Amino acid sequence: MADLATVAEPAAGTPRRRLVPSVPLLVTVGLVGVAVVVALIRTGSPATVRQAVLTGLLLGGVYGLVALGLTLIFGVLDIVNFAHGALLTVAMYVTYTLSDRFGIDPYVSLLVAVPLLFLLGAALQRGLIDRTLGQPLENQLLLTLGIALLLENALLLSYGGVPKTVNPSYDEPVRVLSAVADLSRILAFLGALAIAGLLYVLLQRTRLGTAIRAVAANPRGAQLVGVDVRFIFMLTFAIGTACAGAAGVLVVPFVTVEPTIGELFNIVAFVVVVLGGLGSVPGAVLGGLVIGLTEQLGGIIFPSQSPLLSVFFVFVLVLFLRPQGIFGRRQ
Amino acid sequence: MIRRLVPLTALLALGAAACGGGAPATTPGSETEGAAPSGPIVIGALHPLTGGLAVDGQQMADAAQLAVDEINEAGGIESLDGAKLELASADTTGAAEVAQSEAQRLIQDGAVALVGPYQSAVASQVAAVAERNSIPFVIDVATADSILNQGYTYTFRMQPNASGMGTVGAQYLADLAESSGTPIDKVGYMHEQTEFGTTVMEAFKAEAESLGMVVDPVISYDAFQASDLTTEVTRIKEAGVDALAVTGYYRDGLLIANNVAAVQPGVQAVIGIANGAYDLPQFPTDAGEKAEGYLDANYHPDVTQDGYQELAEKFKAAYGADIRTPAVLSYEAVRLIAAGLEEAGSVDRADLREAISGLTFETIMAGNGPVEFDEKGENTNAVPILMQVQSGTVKQVYPADFAEAEPAFPAAK
Repeated sequence: MADLATVAEPAAGTPRRRLVPSVPLLVTVGLVGVAVVVALIRTGSPATVRQAVLTGLLLGGVYGLVALGLTLIFGVLDIVNFAHGALLTVAMYVTYTLSDRFGIDPYVSLLVAVPLLFLLGAALQRGLIDRTLGQPLENQLLLTLGIALLLENALLLSYGGVPKTVNPSYDEPVRVLSAVADLSRILAFLGALAIAGLLYVLLQRTRLGTAIRAVAANPRGAQLVGVDVRFIFMLTFAIGTACAGAAGVLVVPFVTVEPTIGELFNIVAFVVVVLGGLGSVPGAVLGGLVIGLTEQLGGIIFPSQSPLLSVFFVFVLVLFLRPQGIFGRRQ
Repeated sequence: MIRRLVPLTALLALGAAACGGGAPATTPGSETEGAAPSGPIVIGALHPLTGGLAVDGQQMADAAQLAVDEINEAGGIESLDGAKLELASADTTGAAEVAQSEAQRLIQDGAVALVGPYQSAVASQVAAVAERNSIPFVIDVATADSILNQGYTYTFRMQPNASGMGTVGAQYLADLAESSGTPIDKVGYMHEQTEFGTTVMEAFKAEAESLGMVVDPVISYDAFQASDLTTEVTRIKEAGVDALAVTGYYRDGLLIANNVAAVQPGVQAVIGIANGAYDLPQFPTDAGEKAEGYLDANYHPDVTQDGYQELAEKFKAAYGADIRTPAVLSYEAVRLIAAGLEEAGSVDRADLREAISGLTFETIMAGNGPVEFDEKGENTNAVPILMQVQSGTVKQVYPADFAEAEPAFPAAK
C-alpha cells in the first residue's frame, strides 16, 4: 500500500515526530534562497523579484490545496485520480451559477459547493471507482480519466465554451511589502492554509482520522480491528473531492471559468503530490509553495520559457535525488 | 508507489494521445466528381469543437452553417442549376493529427472544399492534406506566415498573416504617438510563446525599430498554463516603457488586463497586436473599468457596413450569442467558396481552385478592397484596423476610413 508519510505514521509508542523532516526542509529553503539571489542578479530589479516571490507563494498555496485532495485519495485508496481537475471545474461552475443566477457571493457559495462536491465524490467512489478496486492500476486510471472527459464535456454541453467570469466588487489589488496582489488571491492562499490545517487536525487528532490512517497503512489489518474499510474509502474520496471543491470556489474570482480550466491546476498538482511525499498533508502544502516559487522565479531566471520548464526540471531532479519526495519519508 | 506512478503517467499520456488520434470509420467509395452534382455540394469544416478552444470553434462551425443556410435559402448555386450546399462539420479537438485524419475523411466523403481551422499548427497539416488531394482549402483563421510559404496552390487565406499584423500594428502605434504628440520611444512586449505570438512580435519589433522605437523587454508566456502574470507585468513596469504591446488569446489577454490594473505599470497605452481579447465585445464586459482605453490592431469585420450588422443580428437570433471575429471569418470563407462554385459552374475540385484563385470577392471584413489572392494564396487587400475600448464598448478608431470614433491617446495604465 501507499508510502504514507504522515497519514500512516504510527499513532502511539513512537516519539512524536515533526510535521516534516527538517533537513530536507532546510535544504529546500536554502535552494529557494539561492534562486532568489540568482533572480536578483539576473533582473537587477528587487521589485520584480519581490513580486515573483509574493505571486509564487500565493499561487503555491492554491497548488497545495488542489494537491491536498489528490494526495489524500492517492495515499488511502491508492488511486491516481485524473478526474480531480474536472471536479474542481465543476465546483467553479457551481459558484458561477450561484453568482450569475442568484447573485450569491463566491465565498458564500463555499457552503454549497463544498458539501455538493463531497456528495458527488462519495457517489462517484461508491458507484464507479469502488468496482475497480483491486483491479490493475490501468483500469482505475482509465476510469478516472473517463470521468474527467465526461465531466468536462457535460459542462461544455450545458454551459458552452464561452469563458465566464465572476468578479466580486471588493476584489481590489492589495499592496504587500511593495508588491501587489489581488485580494482574492490572498484569500485563496489563506483559505488553502486553513483547510490544510483542518485536514491535518482531522487526520491526526480524531478517531476518524486514526481510522483513515489505519486503512492507508494496512487495509486488511484495519479491517481485522473492525474498521469499515469500504466506508473509509468512500469517505476519503469524498473528502478529497471536497478539497477540490473548495479550491475551485477559491480560485473563481481570479481565473476565467471554462470547461477545461481544471487542467491548469491538474498537471501541477500531480507534481506537487510527488514532490511533497505521497499522502503527506504538510508535504502537499510545502510542495505547493515550492512549485509556486519555482514557477515564478524560474520564469524570471529563464525568461521566454514555459513556467513548466523549471517546474519539471525540479521534478526530475527530485525524482533522481529523493524519489520519496522532498518531504516524504523513506519506507 | 512513485516507481509505479511515473511510467503509468507516461503510459496514460501516450494512451490519451492515441485515443485522440483515432480516426473515425470512413465511408468507403467517395462520391463521383463531375460537372453536375447529383446531391448537395458538401463543404467540409474543421474546427476545435471541444477542448480549450471550443468557444471560438463552435461559433465558427455555427457561422459556417449560417452561411450555407443563407445561400440555400437564396436559391443555392445558380450556375449549377440551383444546387444546394451542405456543411460537414468535423471536430479537430485542437490537435493537428486529429484534424489531418478528419480532413482525410471529409475528402473521402466527397467534400469539394475545406474551411478551417483556427490554429496555425493545425492549418499546416490540413494544407498539406489539401495539396496532396488537390482540394481547395480556405483558411478562415490561422496567421502563421509559414503555412503559405510551402508553394501550395490549393490553400487560400483571407486574413492578414502574422507578420502583416505585426508590421501594421507598429505603424498604427507610431501614427497615434505622432498625431497626439505623445512620444513612444520604448515598447514592452508580452506575447504567447507559440509560432503565432512569436511571428507577430518579430514583425512588430522589426517595423517598430525601423520607425525609431526600442522594443524591450520582450516577454513570452504559455497561454494555456499561465494563471498569474503579475511578475511579468512588474518586469514591464521596472523597465520603464512607454507602451505595452500584447499578443495572445482571450483568457491570457484578460489575465494581463487584470494584472496590469493591479501593477499599474505607468504606460501611455496598452495595445493588442492581433490580440484575441481586446477587440471582442465580451472583453469590456468581463474586465469592466479595467478594459477602458485598450487598443487592438487586428483583422476585424467593418462594423460600419450594413452586411455586418445584419449578420450580427441573425447570428444572435440563431445562436443566442454575440458573433466573434473568427466566426465572421468562417462565414465569409464559406461565402467565398460559394462564389467560387458559382464562378466555376462545376464541382470539380481543380476547376473550383482555378475559380477561387481568380475571384474578386466583396467582403464585410475591413480591408483595402475586395478579397483577391496572390500566387501564394494570401489576400492582397487584407489589413488589420485599430479598435479601442471606449465607454465600455469596442469602437473602430483608426485608420480614419473605418473610424467610428476618434482614438483616445494616450490611454495611460
